[in-house]
Amino acid sequence: MSEEYLWDKSGEPDPEIQQLEQILGSLRYQPSALELPTETVTEHRKSYLPLLAIAATLVLTVFAGLLWFSLHNRAPKTGVTKVVTPAVPEVSPKVIPNVMPKSDTTSDTTSPSEKKQSTAQATVPRSNKQFVARDIRRVHKPEVVPTEEALHAKEQLMTALRLASEKLNLAQRKAQGPASPNQIRNQHKIG
Amino acid sequence: MFELEATADMLLMTPQVKASTEEPSSTRKIEVVLIEAVLAGDRDSFGRLYDMYAPMIHGILLARVPRSEVDDLVQDIFLHAYKKLHTLRDWAAFGPWIAMIARNRAMDFYRRTKETVEVTEDLRAPDNSTSRAKEILQLIRDLPEAYRETLVLRLVEGMTGPEIAERTGLTPASVRVNLHRGMKQLREKLGHTEAL
Repeated sequence: MSEEYLWDKSGEPDPEIQQLEQILGSLRYQPSALELPTETVTEHRKSYLPLLAIAATLVLTVFAGLLWFSLHNRAPKTGVTKVVTPAVPEVSPKVIPNVMPKSDTTSDTTSPSEKKQSTAQATVPRSNKQFVARDIRRVHKPEVVPTEEALHAKEQLMTALRLASEKLNLAQRKAQGPASPNQIRNQHKIG
Repeated sequence: MFELEATADMLLMTPQVKASTEEPSSTRKIEVVLIEAVLAGDRDSFGRLYDMYAPMIHGILLARVPRSEVDDLVQDIFLHAYKKLHTLRDWAAFGPWIAMIARNRAMDFYRRTKETVEVTEDLRAPDNSTSRAKEILQLIRDLPEAYRETLVLRLVEGMTGPEIAERTGLTPASVRVNLHRGMKQLREKLGHTEAL
């Protein structure tokens, strides 16, 4: 048997295969015109519904987040304690040493005592401010107790979100449609 | 065992594989262009797709359903494909897609009208010119499914192995093995029937 002839009709023709081709050729496809119905319109309808559903979900999520955030902030601020800052310690001029050399007194217009005061003012209050600011952030986080109204609003929002999510899922399922019976499956299993 | 044979086949058929890989790229481009045109509203382009693929669909059906039903089913399948063309994602895979539609439609046909088919086949008066062809076709239909479709496409529709591979989406190695083994079994059956 000529394998090449069976494969692509090249090489030496196999008489038996040729005979089979001749006999079976009578059953060959006879070209006939395809009658396409006039009302059939093939449109390239790309389904944008899944994308729309995803976009809508995102928008809803952002909206819900913003709403929740605004509700959270609008709640009455109860239990806010007064910020008590520690008293700024008085700096005695004795503590800070005199850095300036005494020989340079001719060009300097201020007296040494004034200098000492100004350097102390320049250094001490800055560190006190930092200390106070840090203290406020750490200590005073007022606990917001949600009111009944806020809780009710939250519950309503969550219900609405759940409903919207279900509707979107349903729309997505409808958009995808039922599994086509003519899907290509196991294409290469034959071999 | 099968893998070894397939690998051996692959090694043996390297020149043909190269030749066959050159063809599909150009053919696929034609298909993609035609489908694009069809979806844009050009109905004639679908006619060209029909001309390209009708013999393959005819062969696939002939390997499974009675000959009298084949022509109508070919039309049905192409109409169905025309309506559902927008659902095809990979336009280059039009051949495998429509081939699978044809196989499914053949299965549906038997599921619906099994009894009727058997009666009509028996009652049909034998045509002298095609009686021998029908006998051989019946022998091919008795072969395993993998072999019968490939053999019908090769012997009835006159397609070459690379063409069958390209149109159906099967690998050239699979088609080659199917052709070789199917032909071997058909020869055995033919020898057996002639001896009787």
